[in-house]
Amino acid sequence: MPQHTGTPVILALDAGGTMTDAFVVDDTGSFTIGKAQTTPHDESLGVVESFRDALHYWDVTAEQAGPHLRAVVYSGTSMLNRLLERTSDERIGVIVTAGMEDYLQLERSVQTYAGYAYSDRLHVVTHIHNEPLVPRARIKGVRGRVSFFGEEVLPLYADEAKEAVNSLLDQSVTAIVVSLLYSYRDPSHEQEVAKIAAEVMASRGVDIPVIVSSTSTPVRGDLARLNTLLVEVYAARPSRRQLQAVGERLHSELDSTAAVRVLTSYGGTVSPDHESLVSTLVSGPIGGILGARRLAELYETSNVICSDVGGTSFDVGLISERQVATRTEPTVARFLLAIPTIAMDSIGAGTGTRVRVDPAVRRVTLGPDSAGSRLGMSWEPGGESVPSITDCDLVLGYLNPDYFLGGSVDLDPDRARKAILEQLAKPLGSSNVEETALGVVRLLETEMRDHLMGMILGMGYAPENYQMFAYGGGGPLHAAGYVGSLEFQAVRVPSWAAAFSAFGCACADYTYRYDRSVDILVPPAGSREQVLGLLRQTWSELEQRILADAARDGIDPKEVNIVPSVRMQYFGMLDDLEVQVSSQSGDAEQVIAQMMVDFDSLFEKIFARAAKSPESGYFLTKAIAVGTYPTEKPVIPEFVLGSKTPSSSAEKSSRKVFEGSWREARIYEMDELTSGNVIAGPAVVEAPATTFYVPTGYQATLDRFRVFELTRS
Amino acid sequence: MDQATLADLIDGKLPWHQLKEVLSGNKDIARFDLYIEVLQSRVSFKETILLPLGEHLYVVVDASGRRIVKCDCGYEFGPVERNWKCASAVLVRDSDELLEEIYDPWNRCDPSWEELREFYCPGCWSLLEVEAAPPGYPVMFDFQPDIDTFYQEYLGRPVPRS
Repeated sequence: MPQHTGTPVILALDAGGTMTDAFVVDDTGSFTIGKAQTTPHDESLGVVESFRDALHYWDVTAEQAGPHLRAVVYSGTSMLNRLLERTSDERIGVIVTAGMEDYLQLERSVQTYAGYAYSDRLHVVTHIHNEPLVPRARIKGVRGRVSFFGEEVLPLYADEAKEAVNSLLDQSVTAIVVSLLYSYRDPSHEQEVAKIAAEVMASRGVDIPVIVSSTSTPVRGDLARLNTLLVEVYAARPSRRQLQAVGERLHSELDSTAAVRVLTSYGGTVSPDHESLVSTLVSGPIGGILGARRLAELYETSNVICSDVGGTSFDVGLISERQVATRTEPTVARFLLAIPTIAMDSIGAGTGTRVRVDPAVRRVTLGPDSAGSRLGMSWEPGGESVPSITDCDLVLGYLNPDYFLGGSVDLDPDRARKAILEQLAKPLGSSNVEETALGVVRLLETEMRDHLMGMILGMGYAPENYQMFAYGGGGPLHAAGYVGSLEFQAVRVPSWAAAFSAFGCACADYTYRYDRSVDILVPPAGSREQVLGLLRQTWSELEQRILADAARDGIDPKEVNIVPSVRMQYFGMLDDLEVQVSSQSGDAEQVIAQMMVDFDSLFEKIFARAAKSPESGYFLTKAIAVGTYPTEKPVIPEFVLGSKTPSSSAEKSSRKVFEGSWREARIYEMDELTSGNVIAGPAVVEAPATTFYVPTGYQATLDRFRVFELTRS
Repeated sequence: MDQATLADLIDGKLPWHQLKEVLSGNKDIARFDLYIEVLQSRVSFKETILLPLGEHLYVVVDASGRRIVKCDCGYEFGPVERNWKCASAVLVRDSDELLEEIYDPWNRCDPSWEELREFYCPGCWSLLEVEAAPPGYPVMFDFQPDIDTFYQEYLGRPVPRS
């Protein structure tokens, strides 16, 4: 390894259930990756260990590097695990509108099959209700009603609210969540309940948090709203202390002054002090999209399809016209949540996907379960009993058994061969292991390609207008296969594909986003003054919250760039789309007219021109404000293009690969390749964290950013 | 699947995550034999079970090679080709009074349109089957299993003769 000269400046962390990965970037754009065991009792210990591990490749100590850190970005799964395993210590009490106390028992049907494979979604017998986060005895109803139009239909029964609070306190709750119907239209009933709760608590000498939906999540959709508050209190907030401790340890042990930021599902970062931590619950595949957006800037392209092949899933996201689509009501861990989330679609197909033959119909089935970190049959310590895609890649010669994860994991091709023969080939009436393995890999790649096509064509886009970025540990290995006959503008495989998500995390800015339901009808004709007045009032409320957040995190409010947007639909439409308000200059007529034009053109792109229906007017569902503050980002170094022929030191050896018949493939070491090198297939480019397979008929060119461009030769 | 898991499945004691695996998993041809083994170990008679026919009821092959329907208490209903219900004890609920023993008045059917027929085992008085039919409608013959085809073509072996 060459002598390292840069100064480490960025640390991006991915704390999984078992391992914490650290991705360290220096001021020249070089990076290194470290791993350490996750330490659930105090995550900061694992974080520092992981940082040390990453730095040792550069012969730098954490103490030397610490003071130079300028950005620390964290993403992790501890909140999600707390939710999935129901291990929180929080005893939540809930106050809802009387008659609605069975929210968690009734649920919405989508929660009874969320996350299932297609066949299980169809078969009602597999649907099941979730264990409620709060038992029925701690959910109290209070009479009173505000209508959809924000009018008080029934006054709040204050004595019932008092009784409810007392009853919950008798049950020793640790927090009270209040979510009343249509409180986002008129919060007065909720505020009254909060006031009563404060009085009762004061008289009883108790002090616990009271969370009110109209303050923290003022959006339509009462189950998702209640769930969001519950998950916030149950799973997200208990992590706040842990996240703060990460920053404290980096400061006390390593003398770092960089603020720790946490990645959110809408693609920015917030500080651990952020009120709504639930938005950081899922951020796993988001990093990749952010990385792709950064890379798209370099290539000056506005349309990118991002494909991430991990061990368990194949995640696809779209960047269209430089915009990433956002969804507002995702299901997470089988809960509908009201948190804005970058739109990604995943299927259960990855390198760890388990492969079986259905004995009744003799058909190959892929997953949907995965060997995950246990890899497959070829890794004996994993204890797997079913072959995986990795096993197939191994017997086909695409993977090097002695260089998997840089040689730190020994794979046994004979175990893989035996498993594929016994469990797949024989039941299919074949004795040819390679033919079977190739068939399985092609089936997987076909499923992936169908998924890609569904994403692009389903939205009415054409692959010809998109560049495809393939990353994740398995992306480079299968990219040529799953792109297949799709004619993308370009297929790009970053040489740092395995760490691409972490790279993306490191690219995230400080981003504060607030949504609020407004439900404003814009009739086809009439004055726009009142509409814009209402929007401006809401935007300015949201802006105040953003500025308060920025001030809390020590950011100069003048440096925060705030962009207002709306979610809107044709009146009567079910779905809504997000439209950025490009200009607020001019009179109300002009501003609203421009919003309509922007919405129409977005609608045309996503649906169809013929389906536009502005006749009955437009409906504004939400007002949104997003404030961003740019932070230190990794530099992507640019190299001079050199010789097309790789240096002799780059070509390590050759190996037979099976592509229907055996062929001799050249084997390259990725680190030894230089910009400008052209690799003709069949070839395998190996790196410790990933393997790039260039099949016969393809060639890969390493460009000035050390990204491979895969083309047909 | 092992015998203990299957026994739990039959008794409805399998935890959800395991049950879900069974529901979503592939069909397992070997499971039929395992299922018969568990059932056989639970009945009081010695004859070989060919096929379960419903709760408590089995098609078995007797010493002389005849296929007969038996209750798990050992009571014999006669050859499988004949409707076992004809050999059972029947309670017909065809009046307001009898229907209201089990239903609230506003929930029951009108007995001039529909009656409930409960079929009991004369040996152990287990409730074996209930049918709802218009008065006068013949006793329903639920189904006639094609045991030979099932064994030969699905299980791929001959039907046990004893």
